[in-house]
Amino acid sequence: MTLKNKSIIAALLSLIIPGAGQLYKKAYKRAGALFLLTASAFVTVLWYQHKEWWFAAILIWLWVVLDAYQFPKNSITVLPILLWLVMAYGIGWQVTEMDPTAIFRNQERASIILKPMLRPDFTRPRTESLTSYVDIQVPCSPTPPLAERTNGNGIKMSVSPNCANLNEYVTLNVTGFWPEYPATMEWHSPIGAKSIHEEFQINPDGNGTLLFQVKPIVNIAAPDQTLPQMHRIVVIQSKPLGGIDISETGGHILRGIYETLSVALLATLIGAILAIPFSFLAARNLMSSNPIMRIIYVLTRTVLNIVRSVESLIMAIIFVVIVGLGTFPGMLAITLHTIAALGKLYSEVIEGIDSGPIEAIRATGANWLQVVRYGVIPQIIPSFMALTIYRWDINVRSSTIIGFVGGGGIGFYLYQWILLQDYRSVSASFISIAIVVMLLDFFSARLREQIR
Amino acid sequence: MLRVEHLTKVYPNGTVALKDVSFEVPDGEFLVVIGLSGSGKSTLLRCINRLIDPTEGKIFLDDQEITSANSTELRHIRRKIGMIFQQFNLVKRSTVLTNTLNGRLGYANPFLSLLGIWPQADKDMAMAALNRVGIADKAKNRADALSGGQQQRVGISRALMQEPRIILADEPVASLDPVLAHSILQYLEQMNKTDRVTVICSLHFLDLVHRYGTHVIGLKDGMKVFEGAPSEIDRARFKAIYGEEAQEVRATALE
Ligand SMILES: Nc1ncnc2c1ncn2[C@@H]1O[C@H](COP(=O)(O)OP(=O)(O)OP(=O)(O)O)[C@@H](O)[C@H]1O
Ligand SMILES: [Mg+2]
Repeated sequence: MTLKNKSIIAALLSLIIPGAGQLYKKAYKRAGALFLLTASAFVTVLWYQHKEWWFAAILIWLWVVLDAYQFPKNSITVLPILLWLVMAYGIGWQVTEMDPTAIFRNQERASIILKPMLRPDFTRPRTESLTSYVDIQVPCSPTPPLAERTNGNGIKMSVSPNCANLNEYVTLNVTGFWPEYPATMEWHSPIGAKSIHEEFQINPDGNGTLLFQVKPIVNIAAPDQTLPQMHRIVVIQSKPLGGIDISETGGHILRGIYETLSVALLATLIGAILAIPFSFLAARNLMSSNPIMRIIYVLTRTVLNIVRSVESLIMAIIFVVIVGLGTFPGMLAITLHTIAALGKLYSEVIEGIDSGPIEAIRATGANWLQVVRYGVIPQIIPSFMALTIYRWDINVRSSTIIGFVGGGGIGFYLYQWILLQDYRSVSASFISIAIVVMLLDFFSARLREQIR
Repeated sequence: MLRVEHLTKVYPNGTVALKDVSFEVPDGEFLVVIGLSGSGKSTLLRCINRLIDPTEGKIFLDDQEITSANSTELRHIRRKIGMIFQQFNLVKRSTVLTNTLNGRLGYANPFLSLLGIWPQADKDMAMAALNRVGIADKAKNRADALSGGQQQRVGISRALMQEPRIILADEPVASLDPVLAHSILQYLEQMNKTDRVTVICSLHFLDLVHRYGTHVIGLKDGMKVFEGAPSEIDRARFKAIYGEEAQEVRATALE
């Protein structure tokens, strides 16, 4: 058969199945590659239903037909690959719905988030406060006790009348507070529930008066509404002292960061200790003396690799489901991930041990433990420590994120604030996390330098 | 007196590194082992303190059989046999002093030594050993902060700590320049002459063999092909050990 006839058959074959012509001409690898290229192009277009890309797939097929005809004369292979790439990127662009302008379009929404971000809620003005109270009977009995009280620092409070029924109005008189600062009245029912909450002004003499209604809510939890009981009226007055204090959010952040750091520290410590036995089992130089050891080596390696490839965030989700919300599941997740990661890294250190010094120490007549103590440990401990510190660094970051799925710590608070759209608190926690991570980076780098 | 009888070593991969090697080393000898790379010098030295277990043959130190010793006996034998290596084999991250003290591990209290506690007497002895090789001022330095020649001197002071009867030196100067080679070998010679320590040393340069050896063994492909005085190694013998194309290289030629 002439080459020309053969080429026509090859072209026809490739027209029926892309690559078949190349197969016919005994270019097996080329046939396989071109078949995969064409098939994957068609599958992609079909799968994502982007009909405008049919032309690319068809062009690729046509090129394969042409190539079948021309082979072994070379045709330009870049062409179909380029076409394929253009198609893949084009469809990819459409699938991810790329829209860069969206970043700049919604300025209003951006400013809602970004403006409070500029005022992180970490501190509040420092204040001092005065507190006093007076007890009053509700509802009235025939002989109510006097609703009057003077406390140790000369604050005098009285209510008239001496008792109140629900929905009645009473007048609260106070003297001895700081002049010209607002005061707050809080109603505490016998079970300690705070119900009424009102602000009033203190005049220049330190006196104040508040007329308010005893709302039915004050008695809502009482078993018998008609039974007279003693309620408490508390007045709190606070004034700025100058200077600043840590706000409530700030307190949460400090607590959260403390939790996060402890989770990371504990997980690193426990993980590092547990990683050591695994690392010995996963060190090729220790585990190659007989087939059983080699099997253990391969198994350990595989398990470590699998565990390591599961993101600690996903482990945290699983542990949250098993043991419930809190820092504990987060710690478990990070510990597990640390064991796998450090186990692998430690085993590499062990594999890199220099056998020379070990041989030399054995030659002095040292026993096995002495060989380990003086020949092995000095070689691995510095690297182990450096790796562990590095891992702690990583663990602080991941324990931050793990709070998002219920693993406790700063991430947990941060997630709540994002949901509540409390962007001042969000901003404060961002800043604190950044500072902590930066400090940690700095110190861990320093420490690792020291060890070398 | 060290006696080696019909020593054979076959590695697990089938390499025959030593084939029926026998010889005797009287006390106080400076025995030099020569031979091409791969001829089995390192294997021979490592069989003597059983860092490598021989496949066949026996080795006696005086009347005690090293080859059949149990692990406790072996440790007691090993502490009387110091070893010096081509690559120095110091624990790089440990200090010079610790590396020297390592030579005392065979004598040390097993428990205290694990805690890193050494008797003052051992520390004094270590400083004396370092003094003897002239690097007492480096005692607190890390071993890898030293030059090659200094590291080998630490290797020697480590061996000194063992108060050895025999020193095995496996190409102790092959990684050093010729001037340093002489200074290191002079320490061995001094131990040999003044302390009556038997030295078994593998060497590559013939002039070093002539200068330091009192007796020579030549190995070729794991077999003993020569034994005699250094002066007996003439051109013919040299070619028998090193092969037809070999040229004698003198370390001193570089000086
Ligand atoms: N652990 C081992 N496993 C298998 N074969 C080995 C082993 N150690 C050495 N050999 C082989 O045994 C033979 C002798 O080696 P040996 O190290 O004793 O030679 P050498 O004379 O010390 O050489 P060099 O001068 O290069 O140090 C060589 O063929 C070497 O390849
Ligand atoms: Mg050798």
